[in-house]
Amino acid sequence: MDFKESTGLYLIAGGVILFVLAQSIFFLVKAWKQGKTLGIDKKKLRDAVTSSAVFTIPSALSVLATVIVLAPSLGLVIPWVRLSVLGNLLYETKAAGDAMTAFGQEGGISSVITDPEVFAGVAWVMTLGICFSLVLLPFVAKPLHKKVLNLGKKDENAEESAEKKEKKSSGIGGFMDLLTPAVFIGLIGAFVARAIAGKGKPETFGDGAGVLSVITLVVAVVASLVLEKVATKFKLTWLEPFVMPIGMIFAMVVAVVMYNVLPPEIAIFEWRG
Amino acid sequence: MSKKNKTEKSYFDRVHAWGRVSSITALCVLIMFPLSICLYLGVWPSLSGVMSGLMKLIPLYWSLAVIEVLIYTPMLGAGGTYLSFVTGNITNLKLPCAIGAMENAKVKANSEEGEVISTIAIATSSIVTTLIIAVGVLVFKPFLPAFTSSELLMPAFKQVQPALFGALAAGYFSKHWKISIFPILVMLGVLLVAPSLDAGTLLFPGIVASVVGAFAMWKLKWVK
Repeated sequence: MDFKESTGLYLIAGGVILFVLAQSIFFLVKAWKQGKTLGIDKKKLRDAVTSSAVFTIPSALSVLATVIVLAPSLGLVIPWVRLSVLGNLLYETKAAGDAMTAFGQEGGISSVITDPEVFAGVAWVMTLGICFSLVLLPFVAKPLHKKVLNLGKKDENAEESAEKKEKKSSGIGGFMDLLTPAVFIGLIGAFVARAIAGKGKPETFGDGAGVLSVITLVVAVVASLVLEKVATKFKLTWLEPFVMPIGMIFAMVVAVVMYNVLPPEIAIFEWRG
Repeated sequence: MSKKNKTEKSYFDRVHAWGRVSSITALCVLIMFPLSICLYLGVWPSLSGVMSGLMKLIPLYWSLAVIEVLIYTPMLGAGGTYLSFVTGNITNLKLPCAIGAMENAKVKANSEEGEVISTIAIATSSIVTTLIIAVGVLVFKPFLPAFTSSELLMPAFKQVQPALFGALAAGYFSKHWKISIFPILVMLGVLLVAPSLDAGTLLFPGIVASVVGAFAMWKLKWVK
């Protein structure tokens, strides 16, 4: 039996998951009670629960799809815990790849972990790499939140003037809206550029830029764009959270088809060696 | 001070007290995860391997953590902030969920009603996500060996990264295409000179180029 799938590891993961559930239930109960104290209509509170639950289902399924895609390389336990606690798709994929490379497993998440020591090392790197926000929150959240509440009170007394609004959007604060997308574009772009022009190891198939990596990349981009257009045009809101996972899985299916259909010398050709 | 203000103050203080405890507890539970794996499997990874992996992640992820805490805290409310940072998936799930619930309930984000609705929405979303992933993982478990040992599926798993980042790129690049072209060209240029550079290293010049390029375009009013 694969050590990554042993019952003990599932029990460890189960403990972490139970903790997350308990914490969510605690905050839910406390907020509900406070809502009643404030005299908020019960229907409003119930609506918040049902609308959030319905809204969450498609996105949660897309997170599950990512767990399953990462599973052949990492097993199910690490992606399960990492994407249930603190994680997100972009961070975890990069973290897993970097951690595996650090332990000499070239090819990142395209290769399979077979060494328990590498498995444990990847778990450490992925955990410690992502946990800084939890260190910051106890110090930063309260003062920051107090400031926001004071601003909210000021807003109630006086509407912000058009002149002030103009000044705010042309100040450096206006750039903050672009900062996060710019960082993400740099991050995603590195993997895109690598699939177009990166060099792999000569003896390994699939770790360098070549026919198959570019076909997969282009199909993923085009399929996702088409799906997004379809979802917007026909107002299919249920489809929106699935655009990314369907685009990704479709591109992987095309990779399998192309590998089997194209002449072998073309299918495995990697132009940088 | 009115009775209502008193209640408000004490509730916020209590939420922050619970939040601080929950963040620290979550941090401990999170660290217990790899520790338990080591104890269970009886292996201890080399410190140099862990440090080498962390050195690639920390400069980026810890800076992003600072940015995310500063940006998201005002939008999520106190309870919502602590919960969201424990359960993750903030941009794609918790934030839109909280904003949607507050809009439906017609309450402001920085009001006490907004605080309650946002916390309820994020807690519900966390519970539903955690349950769906847990059930999905347990259902999928028996089929995993067939996936990993399949010769037929091998090319698909070799191309996980182009598929995953291609799909992600479609969303980000189409929304922000003006600021995407420059960093991509810079990274392709870097790869022409140093083709063996892995993505983990390449992304640093990529992020610098992306942020500098976006700032220049914003200054020139090419983008808003």
